[in-house]
Amino acid sequence: MGRDGAGAGIVVITGESPLVEEYARACIAAGFTVEARFTPDGGEMLPPGVRRAARIRRRASVALELTNTSREAKRKNLRALDRALPPGVPLLSASAATTVAEQAAWITRAERLVGIAALPTLLGGALAEIAPGPGAARGAVDAAGEFFRALGKEIAIVQDSPGMVLPRILCMLVNEAHFALGERVAQGGDIDAAMKLGTHYPHGPLEWGAAITPAHVRAVLDGLRRSYGEERYRTAPLLARGGGNSVVQL
Amino acid sequence: MTTTVGIVGAGTMGAGIAQVAAQAGSDVLLHDESGQALARGMERIAAGLRTGRGETEGAEALARVHPCRAAGDLAAAGVVIEAAFEDLAVKREIFRALEGIVRPGTVLATNTSSLSITAIGALTRTPGAVVGMHFFNPAPRMKLVEIVRGSRTSDETMERARSLALDMGKTPILCADTPGFIVNRVARPFYGEALRLLGEGAAGVEEIDRIVRLEGGFRMGPFELMDLIGIDVNYAVTKSVYERFFHEPRFRPHPIQERMVEAGTLGRKTGRGFYRHG
Repeated sequence: MGRDGAGAGIVVITGESPLVEEYARACIAAGFTVEARFTPDGGEMLPPGVRRAARIRRRASVALELTNTSREAKRKNLRALDRALPPGVPLLSASAATTVAEQAAWITRAERLVGIAALPTLLGGALAEIAPGPGAARGAVDAAGEFFRALGKEIAIVQDSPGMVLPRILCMLVNEAHFALGERVAQGGDIDAAMKLGTHYPHGPLEWGAAITPAHVRAVLDGLRRSYGEERYRTAPLLARGGGNSVVQL
Repeated sequence: MTTTVGIVGAGTMGAGIAQVAAQAGSDVLLHDESGQALARGMERIAAGLRTGRGETEGAEALARVHPCRAAGDLAAAGVVIEAAFEDLAVKREIFRALEGIVRPGTVLATNTSSLSITAIGALTRTPGAVVGMHFFNPAPRMKLVEIVRGSRTSDETMERARSLALDMGKTPILCADTPGFIVNRVARPFYGEALRLLGEGAAGVEEIDRIVRLEGGFRMGPFELMDLIGIDVNYAVTKSVYERFFHEPRFRPHPIQERMVEAGTLGRKTGRGFYRHG
């Protein structure tokens, strides 16, 4: 990661809020130089030290594509990164809403593509899930592991599957809590309190969903439904309307 | 707390609730038709009080628990909490019998985790007095009590149940009488999606648990938790919620779990579940 003499290396990030900010903050803290490009516009909350890039810098150590909510924006970003970066630069892409296999079909150098379980709030955990794409080069997978270890994370390598592991479980918990709230089973704060007291969940599913943001939760559920074609993954009406809780910071 | 609390059923949950009520200062009438079950329940309470409190305090609390084999002894209770077998016919029979024993105005609570409060109260003459008080296992340690309003439960009954839970040092959460109430419903995807991920080969048991713990900050992964709860118990709750929601696909049980129940690999209690124990 230490090439170019730029501390831990140069990370180029494309994507959307609040993922870009979360990753930029973690990369800066780990000593990386960060350049970020938002699609669509955003990034008002970017941490100090992050350069907003109009063009993608070729001398990157690693590139992150952090879009979940728009497949079209994601495809454009991945293609732009794939075109601009030299072949050896690994491309780590948020894959909680779109499988790595789908994304691999959008770019020329699929061997550099590695899926990551990027969902708001999850970077606060001690582990990062990565899913190598079809035909991913060993070097790209190793680089992904090295990148997350530089951020202080353990690694879990999982198969490429819709929603990956934690985003799928978590977004379905958030969804079920919204079904229950919409059906007036209990008040929102009470649902969160019951889940924390009755099951020791670290956060209530409604407050967690608000922190992830309803748009990202919906993107994961939409991806699951698209992949499986099952009613099981339909979005709760309340979540479709914007969620049952205002945005919170966990 | 001065209300005399009657408990029907001296199993794990009945004994646990009895212990909590006695520790909160109530006289407890612990009823079970089986003398053996009653003796085991009293032993469990005594053991719980030995580990939980000072010797004198524990002895005083234990002295407040009165085992009774005759249901008629529950006449002195101001609140009765039923913690018998999870079977609607059994519970309905108990509640009808209780009506003939207790004084008017006695709150009749059920600790059911999966049955309808409305259905349990429907055959009684006083459905307004019937309420769900769903304690979590182990009752002495878990703070949550879901206070479940059946379609005919009165406001006064809800308030008395809530107040009793508070007196017991618990956190009461009010909820509607819907399948799984809050926790057993909202938690279903934690297990269901983990089982699907396993079935699809996305990751193994240990890897999924490690991800959920370390990436998500959960205290236990889904497979560790199923082993602790009992795979048969977890499967029964899933089936019950699935059936009561008329086969809503979100709650569909998974064949892996069914197969494990058939094989008798039920988790910690059998020494083998998703993990080997002991």
